[in-house]
Amino acid sequence: MSTSHVLLGLLAGGPRHGYELKRSHDDRLPQAKPLAFGQVYATLGRLERDGLVEQSGQDRDGGPDRTSYVITEAGRARLGEWLTEVEPPAPYVTSALFAKVVVSLLASGERVATEYLVAQRAAHTTRLRELTAVKTDSAATVGDVIAADYAIAHLDADLRWLQTTLLRLADLNEEMNP
Amino acid sequence: MNTLLQGTALHRAYGPTPALRGVDIEVTEGEIVAVTGPSGCGKSTLLHCLAGIMRVDSGSVRYRDQDIGLWSESARSKLRRTEFGVLFQFGQLVPELTAGENVALPLLLGGVKRREAQKTAEEWLDRFGVAELAGKLPGAMSGGQQQRCAVARAMVTEPRALFADEPTGALDVLTGEQVLGEIVRVAREKGMAVVLVTHEAQIAAYADREISLRDGALDPTGLGLRTRA
Amino acid sequence: MRPATLFRLAVAGNRTDHLRTALTAASSALALVVLLAAATVIAIKNGESGENAHYASPLLAEPGLRPGVIAALVLLAVPILALAGQSIRLGAPARDRRLAAIRLAGATPGQAVLIAGAETVAAGVIGSVVGLGGFLLLRVVLERRNAGGELLLPTDVLPSVLWIVILMAFVPVMAGLVGALLLRQVVISPLGVVRRTRKRGPWPWPGFLIVVGLVIFQLPAQIKGIDVGTNRWAVLVGGGVALTTIGVVLGTGWIAHTTGRLLLRFGPRPAMLLAGRRLMADPWSGSRTLAALLASVVIGAIALGYRIGLVTQFEAWNRYNAQTREEQLGAGAPEGFYTGAVDLIMVAVGIGVTVAAAGVLISLAEGIVARRRTYAALTAAGVPGRTLSESVLWQTMLPLAPALLLAVTSGIGLIRLTGTRVGAPSNTLTVPVPVGSLALLAGGAFLIMLIATGIGLVVLRSSTDLEELRAS
Repeated sequence: MSTSHVLLGLLAGGPRHGYELKRSHDDRLPQAKPLAFGQVYATLGRLERDGLVEQSGQDRDGGPDRTSYVITEAGRARLGEWLTEVEPPAPYVTSALFAKVVVSLLASGERVATEYLVAQRAAHTTRLRELTAVKTDSAATVGDVIAADYAIAHLDADLRWLQTTLLRLADLNEEMNP
Repeated sequence: MNTLLQGTALHRAYGPTPALRGVDIEVTEGEIVAVTGPSGCGKSTLLHCLAGIMRVDSGSVRYRDQDIGLWSESARSKLRRTEFGVLFQFGQLVPELTAGENVALPLLLGGVKRREAQKTAEEWLDRFGVAELAGKLPGAMSGGQQQRCAVARAMVTEPRALFADEPTGALDVLTGEQVLGEIVRVAREKGMAVVLVTHEAQIAAYADREISLRDGALDPTGLGLRTRA
Repeated sequence: MRPATLFRLAVAGNRTDHLRTALTAASSALALVVLLAAATVIAIKNGESGENAHYASPLLAEPGLRPGVIAALVLLAVPILALAGQSIRLGAPARDRRLAAIRLAGATPGQAVLIAGAETVAAGVIGSVVGLGGFLLLRVVLERRNAGGELLLPTDVLPSVLWIVILMAFVPVMAGLVGALLLRQVVISPLGVVRRTRKRGPWPWPGFLIVVGLVIFQLPAQIKGIDVGTNRWAVLVGGGVALTTIGVVLGTGWIAHTTGRLLLRFGPRPAMLLAGRRLMADPWSGSRTLAALLASVVIGAIALGYRIGLVTQFEAWNRYNAQTREEQLGAGAPEGFYTGAVDLIMVAVGIGVTVAAAGVLISLAEGIVARRRTYAALTAAGVPGRTLSESVLWQTMLPLAPALLLAVTSGIGLIRLTGTRVGAPSNTLTVPVPVGSLALLAGGAFLIMLIATGIGLVVLRSSTDLEELRAS
């Protein structure tokens, strides 16, 4: 995911300064890693250099020097391009979980592999329960719910895959050691 | 917390086919427990036995320290309509009765006056956001609306335990999620225990804890691994 | 669809299906026996003197009385044929699932009905063959003579082969038609069988039919020139009886609906709520299922009214004859002969009521089985079996009471409106209302229905099986 595109998207609603952008990012994408301030300013600098945003004013009421940014026409065009571009499907195939399960099944004995899988499943279901709690909290915003849904769907997919894999392996074992 | 329900060494077979092979389970007051497992693992049978709908072949089901297996059918019937609520996937509303009458039915059976029962029923329909359906017949409602009425009926007596067997199985994801969210919200509000049978991890995640079954026995791994004899 | 395919699909099935086939075949066989008996009576030839002296019973010997016997037998065949057709709905769930599967596999709705109907026709054909065999056997077994050498039954004549063939074809076809008619209430969709119910509540307009029937029936007595036995007389009397009967049967729809509404408003028990709503949801089910029963009761009431008229007439003649030495008044035969004929009709009515009750039992069981999922869910939710049984009882018996009252009143009214004064010169008597025998008729019908419902409740008990709750 590209931070610069997300910032462009947030600026599409109107001019904002760096601090607002960070807060707005963390609010809207609560399940993503929070943005560091340095990263926000570095990205804004790059966007300004490429002519995608420009400074729109200074605001210094009672605080440190704050610069507001506004999206340019070129910026809108770039954002539009990004939003219409189809993401390559199945990026999760390369995840650490997949690699670890496969290696574990190949390298460790069945007992160790199973222990690992049970622990992994427990971790997944715990996280699933936490995310569901976030979602059902009466104070949850639509943004929270959508973000939680996204994570839940992926965890659920992992769990299903774990289960199916184990069943396949059990069948395979039975085939090989009847 | 106090133990509400306790099943010990539950066995149950359908003819020669075993459905439960020695399951132990405990449900405390106000707790939400998910029972998961693949099709045919015995999770519905476990729910039916715990709810006193079905008798076990051996083992005991204790509700507040009383062995309900020793009770007569009419005593268990009364238990089910006062202390328990049951909820199935679909088809539990009486098609000829209006939503309000369906929800009022358990109260009427308990001897509550028609008018009063109707009023309470409408309050419960309102709690699930379907107050405007009180005068409608189930056939004229959507699946989600019907299931909300069924939830209201299962909860109208403010039971101590709600038994839900794939309650959202016939609904689309979003509607199912809303209905389930409402069940959990009201159950927490009223301190009801819920036994939630499901085969989906996402649904089970609404519970406080999860127990998995496999081939009629507890599956501590939850991974559906075949138990090695 | 090739006939072979049709046959294969029609006879596929499990134990309940075989039970249905057996019941359809048995009632078809019975209907054929009764119809062949009627044909036999038709086949009796008149002797030289106009009557056939070698029969013990004047009912068979006298040509003037034979049409009555024939009519009674044909009337008796009607509820039996209806039963054969009604069997199509027996043990329906498994068959419904099969028909739905056949629809899913690409059959048209017409083909599905054809398959279901073909099953009934096939069973009817089996019944016809069995019935013919039974009839021929009975002829041999029942060949008896009295002391005077007269035959008790017309076992010496046989209907013509043409008649036999026509009737053997008629029985299965009629059973199939009744069955197909009953299947009109259900929609066989690829996803299951749905029962069609009407939305609109019925109006009491059938009451008007009863009034028209009563009036038409009176016309021959009021208008000069319409003599007993003429075609015009037969049309008016027959039409009057038919209209009244149809009025009573259709009126049951309104009675059921009104009973339901009253139950709903004033019934304090949950079972009454269930029964009331169900009556209002499908008020016509009563008139469909009770049609044969109510028709039998109307005919029975007419016969009873006629009988008491006869008895009173003889009473008047006897009194007159006792007073005078002049010309003796009376009919061509002793009183017992005429009342005996009416009693024979009452026997037919009794059999008709019983057969009709069996039909009611079938549709009751079908209705319960169709709702088995709801019943099972209610039982699981803690609704006592007692409440469910009670609701079925209210639903069946409560509208039946006023319907029977209407049937009896209409039947007796038909007869009594033609006149209640009979007699001889200087000795007119008022025909009393046969309250006792009418009460026996209605009460008997009610009792038989109560028994049928009781058996239906056994079906209910087994329909609350929790297997129905397992996700399908």
